[in-house]
Amino acid sequence: LAAAFAAHERSAFGLAYRRYASLLYSAAYNVLGNAEEAQDCVHDAIAKLWRAPAPYSIQRGSLRSFLVVCVRNEAISRRRSQGRRARLEQRLAGLAPEHDELPGGDPIERDLVRNAFAKLPEDQRTPLRMAFYEGKTHVEIASELKAPLGTIKSRISLGLRKIGAALGTRENASDAR
Amino acid sequence: MNDAHVADRAALYALGALDEQESAAVQAHVSGCPQCEQVVGAAEGDVLLLASQGPRHRAPAELDRRVHRLLQPPNTLPTRAVGPRFAALAAAFLIGILPSLYLWQQNRSLRENSGAQRVAGFRSNDPSLAASVTYAPDGSWYVIFVRGASRTLGVAWMHDGRQTMLGSAKPHDGVAMLYLPKSHRMNQLALVDGVRVVADAQLPY
Repeated sequence: LAAAFAAHERSAFGLAYRRYASLLYSAAYNVLGNAEEAQDCVHDAIAKLWRAPAPYSIQRGSLRSFLVVCVRNEAISRRRSQGRRARLEQRLAGLAPEHDELPGGDPIERDLVRNAFAKLPEDQRTPLRMAFYEGKTHVEIASELKAPLGTIKSRISLGLRKIGAALGTRENASDAR
Repeated sequence: MNDAHVADRAALYALGALDEQESAAVQAHVSGCPQCEQVVGAAEGDVLLLASQGPRHRAPAELDRRVHRLLQPPNTLPTRAVGPRFAALAAAFLIGILPSLYLWQQNRSLRENSGAQRVAGFRSNDPSLAASVTYAPDGSWYVIFVRGASRTLGVAWMHDGRQTMLGSAKPHDGVAMLYLPKSHRMNQLALVDGVRVVADAQLPY
């Protein structure tokens, strides 16, 4: 599938969407908190990829990861441009979901990720949380934490690598501080 | 284009922590730099782990329909409801004129490119099967001819250890033909009977 997707085969785009539809929609919904906007976001992200000449290649790695990041980035961009942060915070404060949730992913993997996140040093956990869960840019994070941009960039990168290492997706990140 | 490597921004890109301009610059760089592409790909894998932990929702049927429409070939897009007279005129146009225009265009395109077209033969263990592929050097079209075919054969693109089905060639009086407009070069094609590869061709450019 990944090779056919990289070759820009129409059928591969359709199959990739069908295979990862709930994952992609959830990635958008979990950022935007609104079903209609999440739909638009996934549709537009796929349309951009379809119209781009060569958005993905096999060397990049997992097609699933690539698609999720594309959809998330589109969602984050929409939220920033439309000033919807207040709405997101409201949703995170406990608004009821607009539809039923599906059973989540692998519970063992979930525990591993949570533990890895909890074990991160505070100076890595906080900027990583602000980036991933709050959708802030590294410039905003550096400003809020009153730390140099380079420092924030390094801490976020290191923290993220440790999450990957905890699940074995990274070969050698245990030497990270 | 920004030629500076972007590996140090891979995590920020994958997390969505860059602004739009920075993010676009990373994307542009990565598409031409295998080294950074791998680093960004690895960061995307790490972000997938985090993203997979959030609540999972079923994609709405409306989204499925919209994506399906988006990826439909242009000639299969549904038409809007119109008056019967206009519909009749449109049908006459579609049935009578468009195919002629299409065939004329294809014919002209084939003739224009005929000086540059290439031909490759299929190798087969079946001596009764003689097949060849005529193709454009830029990979924009391929025509597969099969002689001695007694049943419909699939045509597949062989790449990266995979087999992507492109269509099927149905025989008429022992001759089958398949025209494939494409947008990329294919280096190896195969003829497939069911799941069995019965012939293959290497296409040099």
